[in-house]
Amino acid sequence: MSRILIVDDSRTSRKILRGLLEEAGHEVIAEAENGEEGVNKYIELKPDVTTLDITMPVMDGLEALVKIREFDNKAKVIMVTAAGQQNKMVEAIKNGASEFVTKPFEKENILKIIEKM
Amino acid sequence: MISHLLGSYLVKEGKLTEAQLETVYETMRKVRVKLGLIAVSERLMTVEQSDEINRLQAIMDKRFGDIAVEKGYLTDEQVTRLLGLQGNQYLSFVQAVVDNDFLSVEEVTLALNDYQKANGFTLTDVEALKSGESDRIVPLFLPQNITEYQSEHILMAIRTLIRLIDSEIYVEKGIISDYLELDYFALQSLDGDNKATLAISGEGKNILPLASAFAGEDFDNVDADSLDSVCEFINCVNGMFATKVNQSFSTDMLPPEYSDKAVKFTGKMLVLPVFVKGSKINLVSTFGDFINK
Repeated sequence: MSRILIVDDSRTSRKILRGLLEEAGHEVIAEAENGEEGVNKYIELKPDVTTLDITMPVMDGLEALVKIREFDNKAKVIMVTAAGQQNKMVEAIKNGASEFVTKPFEKENILKIIEKM
Repeated sequence: MISHLLGSYLVKEGKLTEAQLETVYETMRKVRVKLGLIAVSERLMTVEQSDEINRLQAIMDKRFGDIAVEKGYLTDEQVTRLLGLQGNQYLSFVQAVVDNDFLSVEEVTLALNDYQKANGFTLTDVEALKSGESDRIVPLFLPQNITEYQSEHILMAIRTLIRLIDSEIYVEKGIISDYLELDYFALQSLDGDNKATLAISGEGKNILPLASAFAGEDFDNVDADSLDSVCEFINCVNGMFATKVNQSFSTDMLPPEYSDKAVKFTGKMLVLPVFVKGSKINLVSTFGDFINK
């Protein structure tokens, strides 16, 4: 079981993701609505795994990834995005993202990725 | 889609009542079997393979048969045979109308001819309608003077609606408009070499069936939660569209936006009315520029 932080500006996405993770026995310790809030929650809570949406207002997922990795270079971060963001995925890999999941969420895929981490 | 287009026409012309039409749809639903189920029952695929493709369809802009072929589960010939077993939607509609003793085959055929004339469709258009394929039907309802990319953007939205929300959606004639007054909206813009926006709006509570089906929860009001769900649906459509056009030009998806307040849109917009679970919504799209609010 992992302690997970969900960072996504969409309430719908947060709710769907939380449901999938909790059903599989993981603990969602907090949610954040943008990258800035996500970085602060990461520093405060030190989750085992963080899911980070890429396209968000205030601070996007790529910037938040860099700040999280500056604070903790072993942070396990799963980038979440709709399809069609290949260039940003490449940038996220360079900046230390561990994995990717695509919206809409595919339950088995997400759980497999978290187990692997 | 043809069953709802022709069905609505038959009701409008007084050939069928609303109740009779609903009976026809119920009859069709009882006999229409999903392709995956047919493939499993024909022992061409396992239940696990069928379930896997159903899951993949949520994130891929592809039909069940196409994914099955890509995965090596079925051959093209097997898909063709299974589609034959599944049946043509127009013929299923005619059969359901006739089996319920509402109209004869001749009367339905005559009604289709009248529908063709009323809408200015050619014989080729009618063949497209009878095919039951959304990619052939929807372009008949789009204005002529839109770009190939804008057409593809709308078709992507239609295919995603069919796969994720409602397999029985249908459309009305789309128009080009330069001014819209909306009660509310959800939208997402694409920046880059070609700017574009895809918005969804509706009157009253008409977007709620879409919002509820996508989020998997029942919404009672058009508010931040239900509009957020519609935004996420648009995000999925735009993601698949961006993937498709990626080799031609670069796109950057901007954060989705919504408003539950009345708003005016300006700029050259394509407006396509779509019936989702019986509720009329509007797909509003621009290509070459963003929607102006």
